[in-house]
Amino acid sequence: MALPLSYSWRSMYARGTRTLFTVAVIALVVVAITLFWSLIGSLKRTLVASGSPYNLVVMRKGATNDGSSQVPLEAYQAIRFFEGIAKDAQGNPLVSPELVVQPFFHTASGARENVLVRGVDPVALQVHDEVHIAEGRMFQPSSGEAVVGKTIAQRYAGAQLGKTVHFGTGNWKIVGVLESGGSTFESEVWVDARQLADDAKRSVPYSAFRVRVAPGADMDALARRIEGDQRWSLQAKPELDYYESLMSTAKVLYFIVASLAIFAGMGAIFGATNTMYAAVQARISEIGTLRALGFSRGTILLAFLVESIMIAGVGFAVGALAAALLAVAISASLGGVGLPALTFTTNVVVLRVAPQDLVMPFLLALLIGLLGGLFPAAAAARLRPVEALRKA
Amino acid sequence: MKYLPLVIRNLGRNKIRSLLTGFAIAISIALVCILRTMPAGLDNIIARASGTTRISTHNEAGIVYSLPYAYLAKVRAVPGVSAAISWNWFGGAVDVTKGVEFANFAVDPDQLAQVYPDWNLPQSAFDDFAKYRNAALVNQATLDQQKWKVGDEVTLTSTVFPVSLTFKIVGAIPQQGNTTFYFQREYLAQALQDAGVNFDTTGMIWSRVDDPGRVGAVMAQIDELFHNSDAVTTSETESSFVGNFFSSIKQIVAIIQIVAGVVTLCIVFIAANTASMSIRERVGEIAILKAMGFRKQTIFATLLAEAGLLALVAGAAGALVAWGGLELLHSKFNAAQPGGMGALTSFVVSGTILVQAIFVSFFIGILSGWIPALGASRRSVAQTLREVF
Repeated sequence: MALPLSYSWRSMYARGTRTLFTVAVIALVVVAITLFWSLIGSLKRTLVASGSPYNLVVMRKGATNDGSSQVPLEAYQAIRFFEGIAKDAQGNPLVSPELVVQPFFHTASGARENVLVRGVDPVALQVHDEVHIAEGRMFQPSSGEAVVGKTIAQRYAGAQLGKTVHFGTGNWKIVGVLESGGSTFESEVWVDARQLADDAKRSVPYSAFRVRVAPGADMDALARRIEGDQRWSLQAKPELDYYESLMSTAKVLYFIVASLAIFAGMGAIFGATNTMYAAVQARISEIGTLRALGFSRGTILLAFLVESIMIAGVGFAVGALAAALLAVAISASLGGVGLPALTFTTNVVVLRVAPQDLVMPFLLALLIGLLGGLFPAAAAARLRPVEALRKA
Repeated sequence: MKYLPLVIRNLGRNKIRSLLTGFAIAISIALVCILRTMPAGLDNIIARASGTTRISTHNEAGIVYSLPYAYLAKVRAVPGVSAAISWNWFGGAVDVTKGVEFANFAVDPDQLAQVYPDWNLPQSAFDDFAKYRNAALVNQATLDQQKWKVGDEVTLTSTVFPVSLTFKIVGAIPQQGNTTFYFQREYLAQALQDAGVNFDTTGMIWSRVDDPGRVGAVMAQIDELFHNSDAVTTSETESSFVGNFFSSIKQIVAIIQIVAGVVTLCIVFIAANTASMSIRERVGEIAILKAMGFRKQTIFATLLAEAGLLALVAGAAGALVAWGGLELLHSKFNAAQPGGMGALTSFVVSGTILVQAIFVSFFIGILSGWIPALGASRRSVAQTLREVF
């Protein structure tokens, strides 16, 4: 027969201070790990939301991102008429030639950051169909107008709708705000490609193309044809793979999460073990009584394990709540967290603790409770009833 | 001091508890040390840059906007500039599928020695660099990372230009913590010419001013020179440039600092838990000591010493483990990451971090023991003895 859950719950409750300390330790570990894990999660969501399953990114072979790629104009003119490319209502191929430049922008506090400015043709909005103008309108070609991503407008001085901002070598009037469901395009500025090439004095006007594959057409075959063309040395990657590859900047963050999980997790396990040993010590006579009443060793073991896991569970709940609040506070005070991107620019990530970001911290807390309770619970189960009662 | 044996005895009474607490504190302190190396690595890079009188001159619009190569001669002619070189990001990768693993630049060899006297390279290395067209000067950290040595021939494929170049390493720059690689601009220029690419720009110009007092004036003079041209320049000191370069990771650093604080708070609770447990168990004994004539202050001090000693020893052990562990792990981590995440991966536990960590640990020990020790030393003897027996 098992002891009721309320036995473990009440026992935990009975030693207020000690339980509280251990709960605090576990909660703090959960806070630390949740903050970083959700930062990685937020970055991942930003990048995963970017790109369309129907698009190919065409870059120069060897380029890891469109910020360091250059593609010849003739390639664009030829590739447009390849088979398997989607067309708009007028029959124009959905190929978006794009130029990426990284000029300085200044944050409200005066910090200087490189921002991804994407020179595009009007076709870009059709190729990147997840991007839409949320406020204002699209820029007019060759008019010195720009549209900015949502986070750009929040982060940089003078980058709000209706204002004129200086970047590159000219002044640009902001006529619209881009939204793309939280994807990385919201950290970009879009302007007319030719005007940007003039501004940045680029002899090669394009960095990369985005190609929309026609419904039902074979994406791999199109990619192979582009890559196999001997006239140019190009590579074609599915857009989703491309954005996933940009996650490599999170390497340092993964390192931090791993060290937090291992070190802080172990520290918390030792702390929990300590508390549970004390709990067993304080209840020797009680355990003796229970055993004398006929409760088995297994039951005692389970009851103490459950108690330890309950402590960890409460710690997790408190920690997760605190982390979520802290994330909101950090996001509010920093205005999104800037992360360096492979494109040499700043990718602004809105730090948010999503439910799926809590799975890993929850498992860690569970592990802390389980391992922290294991030895003390085993010690309790090993107690011989007669001796336990005599000691008391 | 004469109570030290008593303190140690008390710590040994519940060995499991002392060990568990010690381990928990040691591990947490090790973690705090590791986290602290990240912002410290960035601070070091900025601090190192502040000792020089080098100036970076780049396009006002951004680092990726170039300057005409002809600007170099004009900068060299500015009074107060003792030496200047052009500087181009090559974005070379050993294996393009792995990306750029260390920073590599094309520079002018003629005044390199004067611009970088702090490399502490013998003049012969600079001479070799100038003599051989395909020569490369490579930071020791890069050599360690790639398992190269002086004399090796290595090929880098540019992710910026449509060329691959093979270099011969002629010298190792001993400077700490920078994975860099320098080669001759002329070598790149010729390869680009063969590939039909016109190359008449530079990404940046680094110049050195002899008189530290004139740095500001020289910068103003350089920028004034190009004020009305179509490539307007911004000149700034090396430390300002480096600080700006890493501005996009400052928020990450802020979050790392918050987390390091959270882990420190964790240690407080771990230590406080133990202190309160071990002192509560001993109320009877403390009352007896008092009844025997031990003074309140003495009892308080021994209890505090117990908590402090445990935390001190554990903290020192943790800090040393972090230091030793990172020294071992060191060369394994890729230090050149885009936009400067690499600045966070120096992973050097400096003397400052070590001392701070040990001090913080000791302080936490004392702090965590304070309230239970105070409570125990203040309790009335008669009442305690009545309760216990």
